[in-house]
Amino acid sequence: MRETRKVARLHAILWGIFSLGGMIAAFLLPVMIYLTGIAYPLGLWPFNGSRDPSFLVTGTLLGMLFVFVTVAGSLFHGIFRFQSALTEVGLLRLKRGLEAVGYLIIFVGIVLLAYYLLVLNPSLPAL
Amino acid sequence: MTENKSFPELRRKLNPGWWTANRHYVQYMVREWTSLFVALFSLVYIYGLSLWVTGSRSAFLNLLKNPATIAFSFIALVFTLYHAVTWFYLLGQVVPIKIGKTTSKPWQALVANLILMLIVSYLVIWLLVLR
Repeated sequence: MRETRKVARLHAILWGIFSLGGMIAAFLLPVMIYLTGIAYPLGLWPFNGSRDPSFLVTGTLLGMLFVFVTVAGSLFHGIFRFQSALTEVGLLRLKRGLEAVGYLIIFVGIVLLAYYLLVLNPSLPAL
Repeated sequence: MTENKSFPELRRKLNPGWWTANRHYVQYMVREWTSLFVALFSLVYIYGLSLWVTGSRSAFLNLLKNPATIAFSFIALVFTLYHAVTWFYLLGQVVPIKIGKTTSKPWQALVANLILMLIVSYLVIWLLVLR
């Protein structure tokens, strides 16, 4: 009984993070994709040649936090939802394996992201 | 809890193409698969940072300027916006807000959240690039 309660609590926490990641992906990811993947390489507003997206990573603490929250939240949400979608198209018998691979990608991805951000900002920039 | 059930759980067997049976199922599946692009963009970004850490800042910027990355970014943006629209609509269905005797409709949540998203996006650009 206690085991079931523990599993249910973990399940609820993971779904809570998934929902938070969904909000982050909906509110923050579009502007991040626009800034880094479209506006900068094509020279569109707001990049006028004076700055580039690396400023988001090392320019200010707020930018660094924005990158971490947006990328980590979107990665969690995207992988969690995608592995769940795969179980609905005939891969239900591989559910455990898909979950294991999914959580591994999420874990390694978020740890690497945090490590890279800290390496690139040895002394945290001002807010 | 499930192990204590004294009766078997009967599940309907679905074939892998069940979601093509009608328009609503197709919409549902497309919505779920948009998450692949949400995850892929994050992974590409982390890969870009790895190029920067192990090489140079220009390696990261060159990845962003690569035509394949630009094309992928356009596709990812379309799917991410589709994710945002369906997510906001879903919010309106799951947590309708009651004001007096009226209850909010899902499309109202969609419009309100889209406006909020535009404001947040502009704030991000102003705070992180224009300021």
